[in-house]
Amino acid sequence: MRILIVGGGTGGTIVANNLARRLAEEIRGGRVRLTMLSASDRHMYQPGLLYVAFGQMMPDELYRKQKSLLESSIDFHVDPVEEFMLDQNRVRTAGGRTHEYDVMVIATGSRIVPHEIPGLEEGAETFYSEAGAIKMFKALRQFQEGTVAIVVGVPHKCPIAPVEVTFALHDYFVARGIRDKVHIKYHYPIGRIHTIENVAKWAVPEFERMGIETETLFNIREVDPKHQVVHSEEGTETHYDLLIAIPPHRGMEVIETQKLGTGGWIPTDRNQLTMEGHDNVYVVGDTTNLPVSKTGSAAHFEAEVVAQNIASLVKIGAPVCEYDGKVYCFIETGHNSATYAMFNYENPPQLKTPNKAMHWFKTSYNKMYWTSVRGLL
Amino acid sequence: MSTETPSAAALDAVAAFNPDDLHQLAELGTVVAAARDALSDDIIARAAGAFSEGITLLDRLTRNEGLVHLLQEMDREENQQFLISMSNAFTAASRDLATAPPASGGIGGLLRLLSDPGTQEGLRLMALIGARLSDSMRDIHRRGG
Repeated sequence: MRILIVGGGTGGTIVANNLARRLAEEIRGGRVRLTMLSASDRHMYQPGLLYVAFGQMMPDELYRKQKSLLESSIDFHVDPVEEFMLDQNRVRTAGGRTHEYDVMVIATGSRIVPHEIPGLEEGAETFYSEAGAIKMFKALRQFQEGTVAIVVGVPHKCPIAPVEVTFALHDYFVARGIRDKVHIKYHYPIGRIHTIENVAKWAVPEFERMGIETETLFNIREVDPKHQVVHSEEGTETHYDLLIAIPPHRGMEVIETQKLGTGGWIPTDRNQLTMEGHDNVYVVGDTTNLPVSKTGSAAHFEAEVVAQNIASLVKIGAPVCEYDGKVYCFIETGHNSATYAMFNYENPPQLKTPNKAMHWFKTSYNKMYWTSVRGLL
Repeated sequence: MSTETPSAAALDAVAAFNPDDLHQLAELGTVVAAARDALSDDIIARAAGAFSEGITLLDRLTRNEGLVHLLQEMDREENQQFLISMSNAFTAASRDLATAPPASGGIGGLLRLLSDPGTQEGLRLMALIGARLSDSMRDIHRRGG
């Protein structure tokens, strides 16, 4: 059986390593061939970008060579897919090669599209790329007083990011001794301060305690960098001295151009994680159109289900498990404390009181991520 | 079924301690608090990094068929004796080398070395190991390994 994995991010790497372990005998015997196509020879730990933006991690700490994370039995190529020929079970890459498959996993991820909001790229600081995180850190270092506005584009990766960056900003200015000169104003697109109701309920008193002003129903229409104003679709506006934005996201361009899914999100079966209409194509991570958070943890849990089912297809001819929508998000709450939100399709998160042990758990996970993508944790 | 709340049960358990037990518990609490205060994010990150790399290495070692086979072979008494012999030979050779004059070179020197019974014994051992290794590798390739 030829198994093709398109994308070398968190989801793709975990699927590949998990399959390499489960199907070691079959691969050794030549009955299974595992191939990964990726756009990069490096793998980035994306949650670390927030720490880079606050000077708590250096950019080089976020990277590993992709090859070093993969089992040696995986045939790895840095050659992104340009054309999907689903009816012929084959893809064509940027390098001009054609790969045929019996089963394919699409895990191409997502991308930021700040340019879709006029003025956002020029006017705002973001931490969703290495260059952006470094630029944001430098802007924060220079900032002495005034209003810091946080605005949120939709859809976006990591649902907790808006509250986490707000907590981090509060802590950062406290540590610099200028918190009393900085006004922090948080804006959110829906009618409460977070999309997950229990997170919203929990965050309201936390924000009040930190003296953070909030405005809901604020969807960014346009940023005017010259006058330092953000206009909302709802007709309101906010003045800022420093603008921090969670940029809107889309799926990867190739998914859109190949018409696999609107916005780059592929229609996916919520339990089997197969692409609608194509039972031999699985979709993992940000690339799905599922109503779950676009986070590394969702990609991780989905990847384990997909790998287990592909392995069981090889061994007994049928899938054995289903994805229940599980997501696990750490939430750094400032003051060296953290908590977490765990939820699935059926059960909303119940947040625990933040504590230092959870902060250390998150600090540890920043390093143990590499063990996780290697398929060990 | 007991209707006692968990906190009430915990208080009862604490009340059942004698003063020495409580003192020891307090000492333990102090040690935990001290360790917690002494730790920093950097220490946690370094320890987690070492753990992460360590567990990865351990995973690779334990899934390496060759290494596992080697360890199994090392369990045999004769192979342990072989290791001891080999380490003794390294030590003795190192001492011999320290006292031996530098090689003079040339065909004459090579012939003198080859005519030494010890050299011949050594070459015979190497040839035997080489022949076995060659057979084994040919067999692995024949089986498509």
